[in-house]
Amino acid sequence: MVSAPFFEIKELSCSIAGSKILEKISFTARKGDCVCIVGPNGAGKSTLLKCAGGLIRGFSGQVLLEGVSLPAMKRRLAARRVAWVHQTGADSLPFTVREFARMSRYPWRSSVGGETRADEEAVASALEISGVSDLADRKLGSLSGGERQRSLIAAALAQGTDILFLDEPTSFLDYRHQAETLALIEKVNREQGKTILMVTHDVNLALHTAASVVAVKNGSVAWRGGRGELLDVKLLKDIFDTDFEIFSSAGGSRYVAPKGLMI
Amino acid sequence: MKRWALPLLFAFSLTVVVAAPFVGAMNVPFSAVFGDPASGPARLLWELRIPRVLLGWITGSTLAICGLVFQALFRNPLASPDMLGVSTGAAFGAVLYIRLGLAFSLFGISGLSFAAFAGALLATFAIYLAGTVKRGGMSEGTLLLAGIAMSFLFGSANMIVQYSGGYTDTFRMMRWSMGGIQTVGFSSVWATLPALAAILVTALVSSRELDLFVCGEEIAAGRGVAVSRLRKLLFTIVSVVVGVNVAACGPIAFVGLMAPHICRKFVGEDHRRLTLASFFFGGAFLVLCDTAARILWAPAEVPVGILTSCAGSIFFLWLLLRER
Repeated sequence: MVSAPFFEIKELSCSIAGSKILEKISFTARKGDCVCIVGPNGAGKSTLLKCAGGLIRGFSGQVLLEGVSLPAMKRRLAARRVAWVHQTGADSLPFTVREFARMSRYPWRSSVGGETRADEEAVASALEISGVSDLADRKLGSLSGGERQRSLIAAALAQGTDILFLDEPTSFLDYRHQAETLALIEKVNREQGKTILMVTHDVNLALHTAASVVAVKNGSVAWRGGRGELLDVKLLKDIFDTDFEIFSSAGGSRYVAPKGLMI
Repeated sequence: MKRWALPLLFAFSLTVVVAAPFVGAMNVPFSAVFGDPASGPARLLWELRIPRVLLGWITGSTLAICGLVFQALFRNPLASPDMLGVSTGAAFGAVLYIRLGLAFSLFGISGLSFAAFAGALLATFAIYLAGTVKRGGMSEGTLLLAGIAMSFLFGSANMIVQYSGGYTDTFRMMRWSMGGIQTVGFSSVWATLPALAAILVTALVSSRELDLFVCGEEIAAGRGVAVSRLRKLLFTIVSVVVGVNVAACGPIAFVGLMAPHICRKFVGEDHRRLTLASFFFGGAFLVLCDTAARILWAPAEVPVGILTSCAGSIFFLWLLLRER
């Protein structure tokens, strides 16, 4: 008997207010993988992630974690397996970094009774890994974009899941903070062994971080493959409807740029 | 400051509750507590003052905690139990009772209270129904707007009933809608105490969820909160609890809206601490206002709702302006 894949999306379709957003999306991820979902704005990437995480309930198809339906799980139990880093929503919160990370322990805590030792340790080590221990007592709203993004990743780590869902983790960040956030995501993937499902419109981010890439266009899977294979100007044009050029440095690093943005 | 805020609020609340019954148009000596129960001062104390202070304290605490829960639930600093149709629904029951010339009582509680409670339940049910009719449930914003619409609907119905009434009826209706905690004996205290206990326990048990509600639906759901189920449950509990209270005291403005904000300045954002702070502060605040209402124009009384709005808004403005 072939064992079920660690994480699997099967024929997922979703309509919102009568219009089809996603149609028959299928792909799998192995434990410890970093899968990147790329595609143009409005392709349905974020909706796909929300369906997969059970934040949107009205869809058909299956989302399976070790063969068990994730949307059918109790919210609290699902939150022990999957943690989110959302694109927006945390910028004006009144909580400190530590408080927010503590709140992420929710699925493990009982409604009465205080913090356990395991909660404290999970929070402390998440802050440490993400390099935000020094910011622990700062309010989320007072941080720079990069610091806040690392704090949000810390909170997701504190949640103690084996899967992380990241929605556009580097949008709104400047170059240095993009690089720092990417380094953290890679560290979390390699050293902590977290399985990562990440949505982005940034091809370079996908090439840099992901092991495999799923390209979504107009609500369907346009292409699937290893990241190396994404380095193909024809393929990129098909996905994004604009012309690209691929650059190589003397050291062998490569970079993709859309022609419309080149100087 | 923050570490001592809760014990200080507790001490403040206790002091107010213990001292207030002895103060009034006529001060009562402490000896009256254990004095001849048939004597004037002892009867004033046990039949009027103590029940009134307790009812005021229960009401203030209840409204403050309800306001706190609503503000987290709707992620809206202006959400308060008076805004969402429950109070105007209760008023609808009350004005109808007065207009129809009904007069009955049950278990020592006036029929007016039962009518008001029925009105509050009607409003809650109407909002709840509106929330279930819509497919996929209601978002926080829609539920809030539905509540406000319901509030205006009942408000206009109230005005029609008032307009059609005679002078005496209309005055009674207006007086009722200003709220007041005049009471004789303990029946209103016993009627409202379970509602306070219910909302206190509910808020404490769901304080972690309320913290997460503040972060928004998606973050709360992602952290494992059953958002729409819990929102419906909390909405219903708060509405019924407010209904019980409005039935006993009429709508008392401002406490539910501002007490939670004032408490945030003292204890921060943690909802477990905020619940306790609102519990202590809301009660003490209303008792203070009601004591002032009894004294200021003695032997006449100022409707306490006017004082809560006036004193509370000035106090809150001072807190806002003092910062930094």
